[in-house]
Amino acid sequence: MTTQLTLTSGRRPDGTAQLTVVGEIDMSNTDALASAIEATEGPLVLDLTAVQYLDSAGLSVLFSHIDRIEVIATPLLTPVLEVSGLADVATVHRVESFRP
Amino acid sequence: MERSDGVGHGSAAAPGADVFAVDEEIGRALAGVEWSATPLGPPDQWPQSLRTAVSILLSSRFSMWMAWGPELTFFCNAAYRRDTLGDKYPWALGRPAREVWAEIWEDIAPRIDTVMTSGEATWDEGLLLFLQRSGYTEETYHTFSYSPLRDDSGAVVGMLCVVSEDTKRVIGERRMATLRDLGSDPSVVRTEQEVLAFADQQLGRNAKDLPFTLTYLFQADGSARLAGTAGLSPGHPAGPATLPAGGSGVWPVATPTHSESALVPLDGPPFTDLPTGHWRQPPTHALVLPLLRQGDTPYGFLVAGLNRYRALDDAHRGFLTLTAGHLAAGIASARSYEEQQRRAEELAELDRAKTTFFSNISHELRTPLTLIAGPVEELRTQLAGADARVREELEVIHRNGLRLGKLVNSLLDFSRIEAGRMQARYEPVDLSRTTADLASVFRSAVEKAGLDFRVDCPPLPAPVYIDRGMWERVILNLLSNALKFTFEGSIDVVVRARDAHALVTVSDTGIGVSQKEMPRLFERFHRIENARSRSSEGSGIGLALIKELIGLHGGTITADSTEGEGTTFTVRLPFGSAHLPADALAPPGDGRAMSSAASYVQEALRWLPDESAAEARSVTTVADTPGTSVRAVPARLLVADDNADMREYLARLLDGAGYQVDTVRDGLAALQAVRADAPDLVISDVMMPGLDGRGLVAALRADPRTASVPVVLLSARAGQEASIEGLQAGADDYLVKPFAAAELLARVRANVELSRLRTHQARWRTALVDSMQEAFFVCDEDGAVVEINAAFTDILGFTPDGLPYRPVHPWWPDAVTEAEAHRQVEEAFSQLLNNPKGFYTIPVTHRDGHRLWVTATFNQAQDPDTGCRVTVGTFRDVTAEHYAVQRKSAQAALGMRLTQATSLTEALEGALAEFKSLWRAERVLAVVSAPDRQPSVTATDPGLRWEDLPAERRDTLTAWLGRSVLTPLDDPTGAGITVNHPEGAMVVWVDLGDRRPFTDEDQLLLSLLAGQLAQGLARAHQIDQQRETALALQRAILGPAHLPEGFAVRYEPAGRPLEVGGDWYDVVPLPDGRIGIVVGDCVGRGLAAAAVMGQLRSACRALLLQDAAPGRVLTALDRFAAGVPGARSTTVFCGVLSPDTGRLTYASAGHPPGILAPPDGGVRLLDEGRSVPLAVRPGRDRPEGICTVPARATLLLYTDGLVERRRRPLTVGIRQAGEAVQAGRAAAVGDLATRVMARLAPAGGYDDDVALLLYRHPGPLDVAFPADSSQLAPVRKALRSWLVQCGLTPRMVQNVLVASGEACANAIEHGHRDRPGGAIRLRAEARADALRLTVTDSGRWKAPQPEIDTHRGRGVALMRALMHQVTITSGAAGTTVDMHTRIA
Repeated sequence: MTTQLTLTSGRRPDGTAQLTVVGEIDMSNTDALASAIEATEGPLVLDLTAVQYLDSAGLSVLFSHIDRIEVIATPLLTPVLEVSGLADVATVHRVESFRP
Repeated sequence: MERSDGVGHGSAAAPGADVFAVDEEIGRALAGVEWSATPLGPPDQWPQSLRTAVSILLSSRFSMWMAWGPELTFFCNAAYRRDTLGDKYPWALGRPAREVWAEIWEDIAPRIDTVMTSGEATWDEGLLLFLQRSGYTEETYHTFSYSPLRDDSGAVVGMLCVVSEDTKRVIGERRMATLRDLGSDPSVVRTEQEVLAFADQQLGRNAKDLPFTLTYLFQADGSARLAGTAGLSPGHPAGPATLPAGGSGVWPVATPTHSESALVPLDGPPFTDLPTGHWRQPPTHALVLPLLRQGDTPYGFLVAGLNRYRALDDAHRGFLTLTAGHLAAGIASARSYEEQQRRAEELAELDRAKTTFFSNISHELRTPLTLIAGPVEELRTQLAGADARVREELEVIHRNGLRLGKLVNSLLDFSRIEAGRMQARYEPVDLSRTTADLASVFRSAVEKAGLDFRVDCPPLPAPVYIDRGMWERVILNLLSNALKFTFEGSIDVVVRARDAHALVTVSDTGIGVSQKEMPRLFERFHRIENARSRSSEGSGIGLALIKELIGLHGGTITADSTEGEGTTFTVRLPFGSAHLPADALAPPGDGRAMSSAASYVQEALRWLPDESAAEARSVTTVADTPGTSVRAVPARLLVADDNADMREYLARLLDGAGYQVDTVRDGLAALQAVRADAPDLVISDVMMPGLDGRGLVAALRADPRTASVPVVLLSARAGQEASIEGLQAGADDYLVKPFAAAELLARVRANVELSRLRTHQARWRTALVDSMQEAFFVCDEDGAVVEINAAFTDILGFTPDGLPYRPVHPWWPDAVTEAEAHRQVEEAFSQLLNNPKGFYTIPVTHRDGHRLWVTATFNQAQDPDTGCRVTVGTFRDVTAEHYAVQRKSAQAALGMRLTQATSLTEALEGALAEFKSLWRAERVLAVVSAPDRQPSVTATDPGLRWEDLPAERRDTLTAWLGRSVLTPLDDPTGAGITVNHPEGAMVVWVDLGDRRPFTDEDQLLLSLLAGQLAQGLARAHQIDQQRETALALQRAILGPAHLPEGFAVRYEPAGRPLEVGGDWYDVVPLPDGRIGIVVGDCVGRGLAAAAVMGQLRSACRALLLQDAAPGRVLTALDRFAAGVPGARSTTVFCGVLSPDTGRLTYASAGHPPGILAPPDGGVRLLDEGRSVPLAVRPGRDRPEGICTVPARATLLLYTDGLVERRRRPLTVGIRQAGEAVQAGRAAAVGDLATRVMARLAPAGGYDDDVALLLYRHPGPLDVAFPADSSQLAPVRKALRSWLVQCGLTPRMVQNVLVASGEACANAIEHGHRDRPGGAIRLRAEARADALRLTVTDSGRWKAPQPEIDTHRGRGVALMRALMHQVTITSGAAGTTVDMHTRIA
């Protein structure tokens, strides 16, 4: 059984691909995340506003697509994104609050 | 019990069986019941109330059963099944309760009726019920409460029984009481018979466990005799007086002989009509237990009739074994005591023989003494007008005769008193006058010493009966003592009447007696050492004798003294004669009989400076002597000549002139004769073979003992030169042959007279010195011994031939093999050379090598001839005294060690240390044999093991272990002995290291001490056993051993060695997940309070489980406490805590307030919900308080022993406790408990029971999960909710979640690469200002290698970044990640 995670693909108004992630990301479900990202091409906006947990396994998936992704995240994920250095190499859009 | 299967247990679950799902196992059995066959119908049709009741029942971990419906259909939970139901499971489920508990229905039906009809709960404490649950009728005890169960409409339709089975506690306490009583014999020593009689009395008091007992002891021929019974009437066929050796008797004799027990069924004769003990039925079996004796066949055996209502399980058997052990220990102790007693009697007999011998010798001394004293007395009268020198010498003889007589008399008196043969003759006297008369004798001596002498003796109202001779000795001794030790001030003698007694006090202003010496003042031969006195003479028997004499008079003597201020002796004698034997009374005498007064005064006068005496001594010179004197004894002459005719001529001539003549044929023979017995004059030819005349003179002059013997040389050589030559050689006179007879006689007479005068003093001195009983010696300035007397040779074996003896003297102990003794002598010797006087006791070696102890006394003097300083001294042989004292003090020291020891190990270690110091041994070992194992070693070297010993030594010791008890053992490096140890044969080995001699005296002492040790060990062993039993039973009534997370408790009983007391704590997990917390304090301490505590604790626990409302629990406990003696005024804090929210409901019955320390500092007291202690006002409702324990706060509950101190308000102690908790709020809760106990402990330790309970909210989180990534989310969820309980910010929660998530992920991925599914454990613990998390797995991590394993490396980096401290420890057993973070 994997940790509950919902992945929804879509397009931003400007036509850029967007993947909205809801739930918690850990080593049990990174494969699903990786597949969803790989299913897209070109620049991708990852909306992590509703992600309540992200660990190094999840970060690794993000790092492997670092050249084409932008991330939207709440302050809850800020420490992880900063400590891992992801915030230094990818664009991170911060939103003030998140929906639980 | 027959069980028909009326209610079927089908396999298919009935509809609605989900109600049973709460408990898997019992639930399955319940679901299997064919409910439709019962009045309750199928479960899906059950009312909600029944369903609820069943699920409460099943979810409870506390033992419960319930009954529901018209037939009271039976349900129970897992705990009840385990504790009580036994083999009635699962048969009982769904059956009418009446059928399930048919055997006790009589007892419980009335209680059930009460509940069902009145709706009120019942309560029973420790009720005895005979259950049929284990295949036999079993004695069981239960504390239970029946409470009503209501249906949906509120009507009572069933009952719930919350029960705790007390069987183990009740029976354990009962057995403990018997064992305790067995060990409670107040007398230390008893005969075997008394020991067994006492034991029987105690065993007879426990008729429940021991319906009857028989004690048989083996006799020498292997048969056994009945030595004690309890519960069985005398002459009963089951208890024959003797049992034959073969085992054909009533009881098996052979089995216990082999140290084994036997179970005997009690069927048929002679076991018909056996006593039943406490029960209605007689026992069915008896156990025959050996009374074990270590290292030997058992003493006998105990037959114990068994309680038929208890199985013979380990506890039961253990109890009986301990009982038999008690008996065996008692017998061992009694026999050992009897052995000691016999030995003591032998010693006493020896002492009596010594006294008789002593008495005989003293008698023998008296005869010659009389024959000296009488003529001397006569001579003094006759020679009253003689010249001063003669009188002076007569005085010396007279005085010393008196002194010697006095000593002999005192010694004789002692022997008489000891033998009970003292002949007293009591006559009525005016004690004042008699005493004043005696005192007046001393007046001149006292005044001469420059002291005031006050005698205040007014007439007394009644006569006092005294033996004049004895009274005289009492008063004279006291006065002589006073004078001896008083240098200025006064001596007072006062007589008074007081309370039908005459009071005589003799007081002085002397040096006094130190407090230390006072107790031994009247001890025989005890002399106060180094005291300043007028004389160092004294035998140390004066005061001891006085005390005995006064005792014969029915009086007492006491001493009162202040050091440096003086001493007062007070004698009390009763008036009249009622206290004296009638046949010893005599009519009033004439008041004379001052027979020995003169001797005391004479002696005392000699202590004082005496100018006239000094003058008298100095005038002993040739010039002042008269030309002739009357001589009673003829002079002895020695004639040495090689010519036989000349010898005979000279002999005839001199014999005719009235001399006593001996003749020898040459110089050597002459020299030997002189040395053997010096004559008054030697007449020697010059020319002789071998040693000639001049050689003889030279040899005589060279020896101080013969230097003064005058010699007249005879020579054929004439002329002045020859005579000068002779005189130069040292001759006193010179005669040329031939000579006229008259010339010779004139020269001889002149020389004899001259020499007699000249050597008188010297000869007198020699005679005196040789007559001394003490070894006498003279040392020159360098310490060489130049003169000794005969006694010296007798005592030490060294003869005058060997003189001078230069230091190191040959009697010194060897410097190598007896270094310590040698050092002692060396030290004493330097004292002798450097001090003007003194005395010391030293070990010396007899010429034949045996060890002696001597007391040396010495004085320095001036040699009048040479002007050199010499030392004159004596040795007194004190060997026997020394060893007697050594034995006595060693036994006392060992006795002290053994008494103080509180365990077997301590007793043995103490004894070995004592042995080591006593013999100054290298080490002392005790080796105890053990079956099937190598012997165990206790040694003065800590940690020494059997295998550390050399193989040879091990072989020797092993051989010794087989010897019989108290066998002395000897080998070149030390000595040993076999001793009885409670665990087996023991050898005690004193390793002397070198070849130091171990004398017979040492061996005797070792034997004595070994006997004492064996007894001490047996006693300590008994104490050990009692303590172990007691501890096991006590722990059974103390609080729970396993606590829920977050709690820590401490318990400190006041009554050591008890581990329980009147205080208690309890933590009770309740069925709904909440936790009951109780801390209480019964009045009093010790076992009595512990017994009350045990009941209250059980009751409170049961009440909490039944109704988790603190106020109501205390109200109910009030009612219970009112019925328990000693429970009144107990204080209790009772709380119910929700561990998730920290909400605490509590009530206090007069208990000190709980203390709450929030994480941010400060202290709050839980002082709501207060009311009076238990049972003070029963029936009143009690208020409750509510508080919420904040996250990371610490709660302290305690009893007043923690905070209450004398002369200090309680609030001070509570404040200090609060400070202690506050100061430790960052510590783990277990450490904090230890710190609080230590910080509040008074200087001497707690003197009251203390119970302490700490809780930190929330309790630690502890989750174990399999190594599977799917577990990460649920674990995270649990941790998140715990972190929220800890009151952390969302950001901190997130950081901790990620860090611990990384650690868990690592454990799953790496830790269990090889073993998928292995367990991982996450533990999180909160402190006031920090969190600690540990993740443990059973695998081994690889060092992080980021380039290979990028995201795992990233994981560790994340952990380190998000937490303050991360430690990863990897070992063979697994990896532990330890993380700390501070809470801002």
